[in-house]
Amino acid sequence: MSGWSETILDIDLNTLTYKTYPLDMEMARQFVGGRGIGARLLWDMVGPAVDPLSPENVLIFTNGPLTATGYQTSNRFSVTTKSPLTGTVLDANSGGYWGMQFKKAGYAVLIVRGRAEKPVWIEIKNEVIAFHAANELWGMRVFALTEKLGQNNNKRNVLCIGPAGENLSRMASIMNDRERALARGGPGAVMGSKNLKAIVVEGRERPEIEDKERFKFLLYETRKLLAASPLTSQALPEFGTVVLMNIMNNIGALATRNHQQTQFEGAEAISGEELTEKYLVKNASCWACPIGCTRISKTEKVEGEGPEFESTWALGAQCGIDDLPAIIEANALCNDLGLDTISVGSTIACAMELSEKGYLDSDLRFGRSDQLAPVIEAIACRQDVGAELTDGSFRLATKYGHPELSMSAKGMEMPAYDPRGLQGQGLLYATSNRGGCHMRGNMIGLEVLGLPKLIDRFQVQGKSSFVILNQNSNAAIDSLVLCKFTNMGVADEYFARVLSAVTGVQYATTDLIKVGERVWNLERLYNNREGFTAKDDTLPPRLLTEAPVDGPSKGWVSQLEPMLKEYYRTRGWNENGVPTRQKLTELGLVNLM
Amino acid sequence: MPVVKLFANLRKLAETKEVSVSGATVGAVLNELVERSPALDGIILENGELRPHVLVTLNGHTTNDLSLQVAEQDEIAIFPPIAGG
Repeated sequence: MSGWSETILDIDLNTLTYKTYPLDMEMARQFVGGRGIGARLLWDMVGPAVDPLSPENVLIFTNGPLTATGYQTSNRFSVTTKSPLTGTVLDANSGGYWGMQFKKAGYAVLIVRGRAEKPVWIEIKNEVIAFHAANELWGMRVFALTEKLGQNNNKRNVLCIGPAGENLSRMASIMNDRERALARGGPGAVMGSKNLKAIVVEGRERPEIEDKERFKFLLYETRKLLAASPLTSQALPEFGTVVLMNIMNNIGALATRNHQQTQFEGAEAISGEELTEKYLVKNASCWACPIGCTRISKTEKVEGEGPEFESTWALGAQCGIDDLPAIIEANALCNDLGLDTISVGSTIACAMELSEKGYLDSDLRFGRSDQLAPVIEAIACRQDVGAELTDGSFRLATKYGHPELSMSAKGMEMPAYDPRGLQGQGLLYATSNRGGCHMRGNMIGLEVLGLPKLIDRFQVQGKSSFVILNQNSNAAIDSLVLCKFTNMGVADEYFARVLSAVTGVQYATTDLIKVGERVWNLERLYNNREGFTAKDDTLPPRLLTEAPVDGPSKGWVSQLEPMLKEYYRTRGWNENGVPTRQKLTELGLVNLM
Repeated sequence: MPVVKLFANLRKLAETKEVSVSGATVGAVLNELVERSPALDGIILENGELRPHVLVTLNGHTTNDLSLQVAEQDEIAIFPPIAGG
């Protein structure tokens, strides 16, 4: 069938062997690719008895039917695993070039299971799979390793872990193409637990396209739409994502000092405007992306990609730090060590609050930018105070008797948007299947930016419908796998049309959104099977009980409980947050009950 | 007099980050601003309405109601189309 690569490459690191077998195409139609296929395979392969850092956990790398076709942003890929940070289902996706190359190597899915006796790296050149000793590479940082293994954007692409993954930090990312990250939930620790340092791919196949004329037309239409949208043609390339800093601060929804405040007096100093004026070198883009939101920035010490808004916030406002060069350098250091910037920044902030309140014996203090780099190094190497922080804020705060000071949902640190000033965003965090995350759905468009229309950010009633539509749409885009920024200029309808043109399988827009709903419900079933219940759909007590004392969100706390009740009902789940038989039948998932 | 704060490329166009502008409503303030900074003409307003995706907040509360009353101590913030995540 066109579009999909129809082969699964299944690697067993216990024996350093591999096999290939066909992708179940009926499953592919139902789950499309990326996050969807990853979740379906994980359901069968990793049950509740499996420790995420044991050889029995798997890494499932997936692409989608649009990947490498040349459709705008068709460069992305996913990894699915059981998260060592949260214990939930985890998918993380990334852009760059590796995903395109992986598809061109001829595979839809790469499964990595087991644990190598000694460190190894894997080289994939279409049907030739080689295992190489990685003893000499163990301990290397990401930038140097990527270069050593021959990164060449359009020909040979490197995916690897840094020291953080080797040391099993539950905040470790998997990095690709030097500075792209499968960041959240600790997939780098899973890779480290398998003694797998890197996967290098070279591919030469071109994906087949069923209806080439229709595809060419849609490519042209999409290009026009992205060029016509001020968001994708001007806002993202000109200002980057950090431009959100000032608006979030202005409306009183910028979490500050471990969510103790909702406005940061130093926001202007770490804003997108400041970054552009003083540190921006140039823009860059992923493969087949006309948007080009990536910012290359430079200080006296480093030059590299980023930092994005969330990284700047986590290492900045959340830690009370307004020193932009130090934040840029800390972001680059996280990339080089293979760490998730959001979880790292928020965990440092948690440690700063624990220390200031006398619960943790350390000298970490809010506002101390000089402490960023040393503590990040210590986290990656599991040394000194870093050994306390390296498994994330929830484990840290729990160990010192104050789990309420972890600003996380299901154990994953939340992003910048404070739910007290954004009611829908709070519901999103609480119900996200991988924990506190803004990429499983994001209400900022609706609640702040007016995309596609502005709704009252403090309103509670009726919010669940918006949240659910957003979550389903995001799960569908993650299954295609495309960049969500494309969706700012191009409606879901176009994605359904291009999917139909590429595969020859006719998807209406409603079919595509139904794919997203199917994926969301399957992930929920997975978490339920792992023992997660409605009581886990919650937020830190601070956000439910402590209202900001000033600013535009003054007096507000998250009104989670009524929103959750409405959410379960609207989802077709029972009052305990479990999908009903009727809903699972409708989605073709009833056989999984 | 209400204070208007400008962000992103609006700063360069108006050659200022912040300016005091008189006006009894959000619309009146914005019109006065455009009159004083002609480079903003067609950037924030179009045919008397806010241009698509231009974001205006009054004391930190997003609004697209140009008839909203403005007091002396109020603060209006204006953002060009922005996006991110």
